[in-house]
Parts: sequence; structure tokens; C-alpha cells
Amino acid sequence: MIFDVIFRNIHLLLSGLGVTFQIFILAWIGSFLLGIGLGVLRLSSRKAIYWPVTIYIQTMRSIPLILVIFGFYLLLPIITGKSMPSLVSAVISFIVFEAVYFAEIVRGGIQSVRKNLIDAGYSTGLSYFQVMTFIILPQAIKNMIPSIVTQSVVVFQDTALAYVIGVKEFLRITTLVNVREVRSIELYLFAALVYFCICSFGSLLARRMEKRYGG
Amino acid sequence: MSKNNTIIEIKGLNHWYGNFHVLKEINLETRRSSCVVICGPSGSGKSTLLRCINGLEVFKEGDVIINGKSVSQCFHNHKELYKLRSKFGMVFQHFELYPHMRVLDNITLAPRRVLCLSKNEAEKSAMALLEKVGILEQAYKYPANLSGGQQQRVAIARALAMNPDILLFDEPTSALDPEMIRDVLKVMADLAKEGMTMLVVTHEMGFANAVADEIVFMEEGNIIEHDDAVTFFKCPKSNRAVEFVDRILVHI
Repeated sequence: MIFDVIFRNIHLLLSGLGVTFQIFILAWIGSFLLGIGLGVLRLSSRKAIYWPVTIYIQTMRSIPLILVIFGFYLLLPIITGKSMPSLVSAVISFIVFEAVYFAEIVRGGIQSVRKNLIDAGYSTGLSYFQVMTFIILPQAIKNMIPSIVTQSVVVFQDTALAYVIGVKEFLRITTLVNVREVRSIELYLFAALVYFCICSFGSLLARRMEKRYGG
Repeated sequence: MSKNNTIIEIKGLNHWYGNFHVLKEINLETRRSSCVVICGPSGSGKSTLLRCINGLEVFKEGDVIINGKSVSQCFHNHKELYKLRSKFGMVFQHFELYPHMRVLDNITLAPRRVLCLSKNEAEKSAMALLEKVGILEQAYKYPANLSGGQQQRVAIARALAMNPDILLFDEPTSALDPEMIRDVLKVMADLAKEGMTMLVVTHEMGFANAVADEIVFMEEGNIIEHDDAVTFFKCPKSNRAVEFVDRILVHI
């Protein structure tokens, strides 16, 4: 049987997939929350807030993710003076990088909400923060759900890049198994199939939500 | 007009949108418990005037004094500005209800978050207000499931929920079907009768004639005429007001 190599190493591969999900979930939560913050701040009318955030977003969008991962891996120990587990370093890289894309989605979502509703909230004495929290963001997030799911699929795929700093995630494990078994075609095909299934499921979810919430 | 009875005092108010001079040297005093109708052709600055009064618009020159408190002083202090706005209720042309909240939650949001009322207290008074505007049975629906007239009455209830000193109406019936206009105007007339201070931007001259104490006629950012309602309709002073009233009355 051609794929016996996969069955023989399934526990290793699954553990790798577990790490991939661990990175994904931590990176997703962190980058989504940071993204909301950045997206809101980017709409600020104060230059002292708008410009730093805009520069940060533009910078991240102009650097390949792999450089950010290397950057944090090399710089964090120097800055903090402690060695950093590569998993932590990878998660931090993903958070600061992917947040930028969530921020742009959040900004678009907020801008899609009727501006007059902001005035309606203000006219009852609500503060900026309260108008955002109770009136704008709940509607904006509903409008953003399809784009958020799509971006989440991208984040999931990007987790494979943690490979480069030696995190034992799914792709790395696949490679390690291959070193021992030398069955690269089967192993990498299997890896591709796993990514394909998970991401297709995500895309399907996005499409269904788009229908449900009317895009 | 005795000084201590004045609730709104507008002094030399000027405002620009970019280069466009929307409000030109506006001076206006409003007595407590009076109903003032502001009318005039579109683009004359009526809505902007309302928005300057409750500090939604940060005006460039002059000042508005509410109960002896300067609005322009609040522009540098967000907390003060929020407090100032909470003393007003505002009703918009297109209702501006929060679409993701039920009617009841639309009304209780500000009382709970700004006045820090408990959920129970806020809902109790919200229900009383819904009864007052005649749509108690709609409390648990979403705005999208209500007719325009019902939505606007929710908006009025929402404005009243903060116990405002002054109500501002910005063309409250312009987006409504004719048969719904009556319901909304009825609620407004009742409020005026109860002694609520009201500033109403509207083209409903029937309402102005029947309910308003004073009429302000605006054109191109100026107040052309400011009279008590009887004088305004019987013998308007300015030619422009004569033309405007003629045209609108003929239309009715």
C-alpha cells in the first residue's frame, strides 16, 4: 500500500496538526483583537493616533511574513534578554502581522455602518467608546463576518511558515517523518490534502455566512 | 422675554462646511416650554442649526448657551460634551434606530449606559414611554419589522427616555407616508401641550399653525423672520416668507 507510511506515522502527524491548531487559535484570537483596536484607531481624526497606526499597518503590509517571523525570532531574545521558545516567537509574529489585515477589514466594516447612527448615539449622550461598543461594532462585525472567515483561512495557511524557525507544527513534522521514511511524494501529498480539506471547509463556511448575512 | 425663562440662547453663531457658509450670524432666544418651528427651503441651514445646538456639530464662531451653560466651552472637554448632549433628545428624518437591537433595547441603551439605571428600571420606564407613544405591543420587535410611523415613535420614545430638557426634531415626518404622519404629529403635539421645550425643523405648516408658539424662517443660512405663529401666518413681514407660506399653503 502506497499510503502505509502515513498510517504508520499518524500519531506524529496528528501531534503536528495539534501544534498547528494551537498556533492558529492563539494567533487568531490575538490578531483579531489587535486588529479591532488598530482598525478603530485608524479611523481616528487625531493625527497623533492616525499616523502611527497607518504607518504600522502600511509597514506590515509591505514586508513578507517570513521576514517578520525571522525578525521576531532573532530580535526578541536580544530585546528581552531571554531565549524565547520558537512557538511563542511564531505566535507573536503572526499576531502583529495578521492583525493588520483584520484591521483593514474592521475599518471597512465600520465605514459600512450608517454614519447617522453615530449621531443618533451621540445625541443620547453616549460617549465615543460606548457608541463604538454598543452601536457600531456589533453591526460592523456582522457585515465583516465573511471577510473575517476568509482571512482566518489565510491565517491558517500562514501558520505553516512557523516551519522556518523550527516550530514542530504539521508541515515540519511531515518533513521530519520524510527524513526518516524518504517517501516525500506520499507525505507531502497528504499534507496538501489536509490543508486543502481544512481550508475548503473554511471557505465553504464563509460562503454560507455570506448568504446568511447578505454579504 | 425674561432672562431666567430663556433656555436656549444663540449668540452670533457662524458655521462653515469647508468654504460654504452654512450659518450666518444667527441670534435666537428660546423660552422654556415653547415649541419653535424652524422652516425654510432646503439647504437653508435648519438641520445644521439643530446640530450646533446640541453640540453634534462643532461650530466655528459664536456660542450657544443652554441653561446658562456655554456649548463651545464643552468642545474641549469630551465628558462635558457628552453630558450636554444627554440633556437633549433628538429625532431624525430617517429615525436612525439601532437595527441590531429590539425596540426596547433601543430605548434603554442610553438610560442604562449614561444614567446608569438598572435593566429593570430602564425597561419599566421604556415600557411606559412606548405606551405613551401608542406602540407598547412592538416592544420586543426589531426596527426593521415596524412601519415608518412606528419607527419614528420609537425614536421619540428613545429621545424621551433620557428625560431631556429640550427635544430637537429634524424633519421628523419627511420620510413618512401621509397616513403615518398624523400619528407622529399627534405625539409631538401632545408633548408640546405637556410643556416640553421643542425645536422642530419641518415643512408641516399645518402642525406649525396649530402647535407652534414661534416660527423661525430661514434662508441661505440667515434667519429671515422670527415671529409668534399667529403673526407669521396672518401677516408675515418678509417677502420671502410670504412667498414660502403661500406656496406651502397652496400645496396643502
